[in-house]
Amino acid sequence: MSKRRKIVITGATAGIGLALVQRLHARHDIMAVGRKPSEEAADLLPEGTRYVRADHADPAGCAQAIAQGLLKAGWLKLDNAVLNAGIGQVVDDAIEPVDLVRQTLDTNLTAPVLIARALFPWLSKANGTLTLVGSVAHKGQALFPTYAASKAGLNGLARALRAEWAGSVTVQAVHPGPTKTEMHAKAGYDPGRAGALFIGADKMAAMLESAMANGRSPQSLAFVRAWSSVSQMTARLR
Amino acid sequence: MSKRACVTGAYQGLGRAIAQQLHDQGYAVTTIDRSRMDVDTPFDHHTTDLANRAQVDALIDVLARQEPFDMLVFNAGISATGKFEEIDPEAHARVLEVNAVAPISLCAALMGRTRIAQGARICFVSSLSHFTGYPGAASYGASKDAVAVYANSVRKKWRQANDVSVTTAYPGPLRTEHAARHAPEGAKADKRMAPQQAAELILNDVASGKPVSLPGGGAKLFAFAGRLMPALVTNVMRRVIYDKLNRNVED
Repeated sequence: MSKRRKIVITGATAGIGLALVQRLHARHDIMAVGRKPSEEAADLLPEGTRYVRADHADPAGCAQAIAQGLLKAGWLKLDNAVLNAGIGQVVDDAIEPVDLVRQTLDTNLTAPVLIARALFPWLSKANGTLTLVGSVAHKGQALFPTYAASKAGLNGLARALRAEWAGSVTVQAVHPGPTKTEMHAKAGYDPGRAGALFIGADKMAAMLESAMANGRSPQSLAFVRAWSSVSQMTARLR
Repeated sequence: MSKRACVTGAYQGLGRAIAQQLHDQGYAVTTIDRSRMDVDTPFDHHTTDLANRAQVDALIDVLARQEPFDMLVFNAGISATGKFEEIDPEAHARVLEVNAVAPISLCAALMGRTRIAQGARICFVSSLSHFTGYPGAASYGASKDAVAVYANSVRKKWRQANDVSVTTAYPGPLRTEHAARHAPEGAKADKRMAPQQAAELILNDVASGKPVSLPGGGAKLFAFAGRLMPALVTNVMRRVIYDKLNRNVED
């Protein structure tokens, strides 16, 4: 019998986050976090999923809202936190408007930093795992320089916290490759025929679950891995 | 007309040394810092708190009305050291704002308004921790990784478009007031490089348009070891820094 885990997932109303909720909700207790209004989220999420509305554009308020959600739900500890929420926008000539720079770093980096700090008491009680969802773009990408920078920041956060919290909370950075989600359309990017090579969000969620179970860091979650390793796709969180 | 340079965090430490050397090389130097400069300095100084978005916006408006820069050094940085979960959230947010959001915003805004000259040299000051991890200064490490990868992201495009070079500098601990405040008690300052020496090495690399500047043999060795064995070196950092931190320093 595998145990029923308590899991927080941010960015849970679309893309990889939603696919992960759908994959895990039957076996575990999920608290989904998103910025959509509750009624809209209820239509998207599996029935019975707890939902906290929190906007990452306000990092401090977002961290507070999640902590309050945990208190309200009476959760005393947390086995997993998957900080997956992220935004990006494609630009020309690698020049971004200042507002985009700020929104991207607030949402993708400052918010996860503050959420990680806020969740520490819950995660450490369960010897839990903090999963920071980065991107294979974390080494640099001219199409969305600040997005790449934000994901590099998450990678750096994971390296530091993994050492700081060793023995208490497992910290990992995982870097998904191109995935079939709404993000590319939102970001103003048309992958063209290359889009056919993108992994489905459900397969990415499966790889993510496997990564959460093995706790290694950093890990790239790319299609080569999906097709080369059946175990990657079938591993389960226990 | 003399060439124009802009240096952030120029009140003291590495930034001051860089501003002084650029002035000595004949640049007209614009300096930015939250501290006021003495009146007898040869710089065009702007007192701006880079943690404050309204002040950054105002600064962008002022600089946008001036002639383009030929040299920009984004050096300003603060830290918050201690146990990650014990540091005030506002201090973490301020570190990310000053070290990552502000330099990227400033650079993108000046580039967008063509205030960066054809053939200009840009330098982002990151940190040696980019090659390992920085237990005891997690948000600082994250911010320095962010600027390093921002620089890596724009480098090729801007070189092709405007012959602008973008250098990422990765200095190790320097003999500065900043390092003294954030190092564990009892850490020896005399082993750290003088900021004047680091400034000289970094500016040489920036002037020749190198993508990477690792000032000094120690930095080069550390970066190599970190690339080879990141987890091992990060654990060593945990032992020599994090385990010895007996106080939190937020700023």
